[in-house]
Parts: sequence; C-alpha cells; structure tokens
Amino acid sequence: MKAVDLEVIGLGLRAGGSARGRLLFAGLDLRIATGECWVVVGPNGAGKSSLLGALAGVFAIDSGSVRIDGRAIADWPPTALASRRAWSPQFWSDPFPSTVAETAALAHGRGGGWRHWLDDGIGAEVMRRLDELGLRALADADVQSLSGGERQRVAIATALLQDAPLLLLDEPASHLDPAHQRLLLAVLRRHAAAGGSVVASLHDLDLAWDLASHCVLLDGGGGAVAGRRDDVLVASALTDVFGVAIEAIDVRGARRFVVGDAAEPAR
Amino acid sequence: MLAALAVVLAVCALGVLAGSSGFGWAAPDIVWRIRVPRVLAGFGAGAALAVSGALMQALTRNALADPYVLGVAGGASVGALAVMLAASAGGIGLGEWGVALGAAVGAGVASALLFGLMWRRLTNHSAGTDASAALLLVGVMIGSGCTAVVSLILSVADEGQLRGMVFWLLGDLNGATHWEIVWAALALTMLLVWPSAREIDWLARGDAWAATLGVAVAKRRRSALLAASIATGAAVAVAGAIGFVGLVVPHVLRRLGIRAAPLLLPASALLGGVFVVAVDAVARTVLAPLQLPVGVLAAAVGVPTFIAMLLGRPAGATRA
Repeated sequence: MKAVDLEVIGLGLRAGGSARGRLLFAGLDLRIATGECWVVVGPNGAGKSSLLGALAGVFAIDSGSVRIDGRAIADWPPTALASRRAWSPQFWSDPFPSTVAETAALAHGRGGGWRHWLDDGIGAEVMRRLDELGLRALADADVQSLSGGERQRVAIATALLQDAPLLLLDEPASHLDPAHQRLLLAVLRRHAAAGGSVVASLHDLDLAWDLASHCVLLDGGGGAVAGRRDDVLVASALTDVFGVAIEAIDVRGARRFVVGDAAEPAR
Repeated sequence: MLAALAVVLAVCALGVLAGSSGFGWAAPDIVWRIRVPRVLAGFGAGAALAVSGALMQALTRNALADPYVLGVAGGASVGALAVMLAASAGGIGLGEWGVALGAAVGAGVASALLFGLMWRRLTNHSAGTDASAALLLVGVMIGSGCTAVVSLILSVADEGQLRGMVFWLLGDLNGATHWEIVWAALALTMLLVWPSAREIDWLARGDAWAATLGVAVAKRRRSALLAASIATGAAVAVAGAIGFVGLVVPHVLRRLGIRAAPLLLPASALLGGVFVVAVDAVARTVLAPLQLPVGVLAAAVGVPTFIAMLLGRPAGATRA
C-alpha cells in the first residue's frame, strides 16, 4: 500500500460549505502520517462531518488548505485521489435491491475498467473483507434488509475495498454493538499498521481513546485543537467542550471517561 | 448470453410471422415493407424506453421513476397531437412523418425546458446540493403541464381525429416504420452512457460519494439525462407513449439479479425490445383483423406482473 501524507494548514470551514454559513472552526493545523489513527471528537453540529468531507475534497473550504502528498486537494486528478483516500459518508442511499457483496465491491477494482469488474466483481478479496467484518453469512442478503449496524459494517467494507491507504470514516461506529465496535477497532488498527492511516469521527470517548493515536477536538464554538491523543483527550478540555462534567479514570492502563448528569436547565 | 440472443431472435421471428391476416409467411411486400420495419421499430422503441427508464431510476434514486418523469414524453404528446389537430384543421394530410416530427419537436422543447430550469443545479455541484429530488419534481411538473395541454387538444379536436389521437397517446406501432430513428437514438444513448456505466451506479449511492471516486458528477448527470431524453423522445416519436416498459423492465432485471448498470443497461435494451415486440405480436393478432394499441396490452401485462413482483418475496432479501 502506497503511503499517503495528509497535511491541513490553517483550515477553516463554514456550515453548509457556503460563505454565509456559520463559522464551524478556523485555523486548524495537522499532519497525518502513515500508521496514525486520528479521531475527530466534538458536540453535534461542531463540524466533524464537514471536516471529514473537506479532507475528502467534497466540502468547500472557507480558508486554509488541505494537501495530499504536498499537493492541494483541488489540484489532484479526481481518479488519482480516489486511489489515495476513501471517504465513507454518514448516510448511504440504497435506492434499489443490491446484495451485501455487490455493495461492498462498489468501488473495488476501479482501475481495471468494467471488463475487469465483470470478471472479478465479487472475488476472493471482497469475500475476505466481508469475513473480516463478520458479514460473510450476509453476503447474498439485500442491503435494504439489513439492520443499522450491519449496514454500517457494509459501508466500512466498501471503504476498505476502495483500496486507498487513507480512510476517512464519518461515524463508523454508529449502530454497532460493543463486540462489533471492538471488531471495527481491530480492523482499523490493522489497516494503519499495514501502511495506511485512518481519520474517524466518533462519539464514544472510550472507543475514541482506544482507537486514536491522535485526536482533533472541535469545540462547537469556532475552536479546534489537534494533537497527540494523550494531550487532547483530557477530562478538563472535554468538560469544557461538551458542557457536562467529564471525569477521567484509569482502568487497567486505559483512560475511561465518566460522564456526569447534564446540568438542570435554568428555570 | 447465447440463450438471451436466441430468445431475441425467436421473438422477432414470431413478430414477423404474426399478422392480422393470420399467422404465417405473408406476401413479401407485406413482410418486408410492413412487418419487418414494425418489428424493428417496436424493438427499438421498447429498448430505448427500458434503457431510459433504468437511467432515470438511477439518476433520481427513485424506483418509481420511468422515462416519462422527465416530461419529455409529455412534450412529445403535445407536439404530435398539435400536428394532428393542425392537419385536420388545415385539411392537409401530414402522414406519419408529420406526426413523428411533431413529437420529436415537442420532446426537444420539453427537454430544453427541463435542462434550462435545471441548468444551475446541474452545473453548480457541491456536496451540499443534490440534484435528484429537484430533477424529479421539475420533470413531473413539466409533464403535468403537458398533460393539461393534451387534454385541451383532445377537448377541441373533432370526432374524427379523437380516435387517432387516443391511439397515439396509448402507444401505437400501427404504421410505425421509421425504425432507423429510434435505433440511431438507442445507439447514441448507449454510446453516451455505457462506457462509464459504473459511474451511474456510484451516482445512485450519493453524489458526493461518487465525486470521491473521481466522477465528474455534474457532467455525468447531464450526459445521462441527455441520453435518457434522446432515447425517450425518439421512442415516443416513433411508437407513441407506450407505458410500463420503462418502469417494469429494469425492475424485472434487478429481481433476476442483473443490478449493476454495465449489465443492466444492455439487458434492459434486450428485454424491453423483446417485450414490446411480443406484446405487439399479440396486440395485432388476438382480435384480428382489429389491431389493439400496443400500449394497452403492455399495461395489461405489465400492471399485474409488477404488482405480483412487488408483493412477492423480493429476491435476495432473505436473511441467511
């Protein structure tokens, strides 16, 4: 797998990607190297999905720049970009019946053209990925009939099968039960260890801690902090950002976050 | 593949042999100047409508979309009926060429209107704007407007004209001999969409996602829409507004497991063509010498088939 270097310089985004939108955040700097797992954390509406979209090149940038291998994302030929980063959106449209294997293989083998795809559409590689995500038994099931968690795992399989080193995943753990959350972590860590890198938005702070080597914390009020996990995912910063008391405790070497009750609304 | 070709040839042979004077080989003149062109026109129209239907369903991400949601067929109807009305008012015999020309002009005007209204949406693409819903609504509105004009024409037409107009609206291959038009349109349509058919599937999953795979979203949507308009316009100009082919054929194929656009588009062309030729063969023999409009029989076959399919257990939906 070819290594990809992603650099974000002074990035600022506005809601909806329009100049009139509310400022989500500004002045974000970070650099993602091979083998790193970045987690994006922040309150609803803070701009997590917008940030992932901007890194993927499908969300308009208000200020600053996003560079892949030193070249601004807009200057890349779109098909070359497709083999360097895979973006998995939070919502998928499944308008027609389609099997799990077909959906997972949607972006697989793009370079070979349609003929390659006809011969090798649902090949061994696709089945291996389905196996890895616990989807083998569902390979022939219709995606429209899946549960939320099952559909989410298919989306991850689709992203992995795009064969791009940089994965940009928008809430990949949503709808997943605890066992499948752990399965996801293992799959993403393996991907990073094999020469890839991962950026994922997550709401579960414990899961974020376990996946991340680095973290972006968006505060929902225009601020963004990026850095090593241990420096960013700290109780005091999380308490400020989310507006609820968050305490960090140490459980067998892992930082766990205990979230207090929301303050009573003022009468 | 060979089996599919055998079916196509068998049905076309059946279409050539079936005549209103009985089943079998007829005088060479009737075979070569009436039946063969009619079978070719029917096949081309069915193929074009089914391909257009498959495209429109993918572009609007709507399983209920058909070639007519664009409003192109509505425009063609207005054009064709206006020519018929003008011909009777002026007392001139325009013949089928005039009607086909009127339909083509109407289809062109409706497409131009659709493209004009949607141009900004189709060019200013960003992740935030999704053209599919707006496209569907604008197309349906153009179609509704055309329906109103069609009703107006029907209400002012004289008795002698009504029958011809109603037959045309139902879809009628009677006297449809200009198969070259619809075959050329079909070829052009496939040329526009098939080489990049995989991108059509990606667009159906989301414009922004397709963009990350390197699809030039706005350009691809425009060319696919243009292709669907050309196919629909030509089919309607040659054979009238035959219903259900464009809606049902892609669905039947998806249920059979042919779902990916690179396969679905050519398969739709084959099945759509075969379906119309077969239905037309029945339509002109079952009550011979009376010839039924092909659209009526297509609906009579298509509606129950489609409902049975929808209510039946969908293929591939069973949980392992």
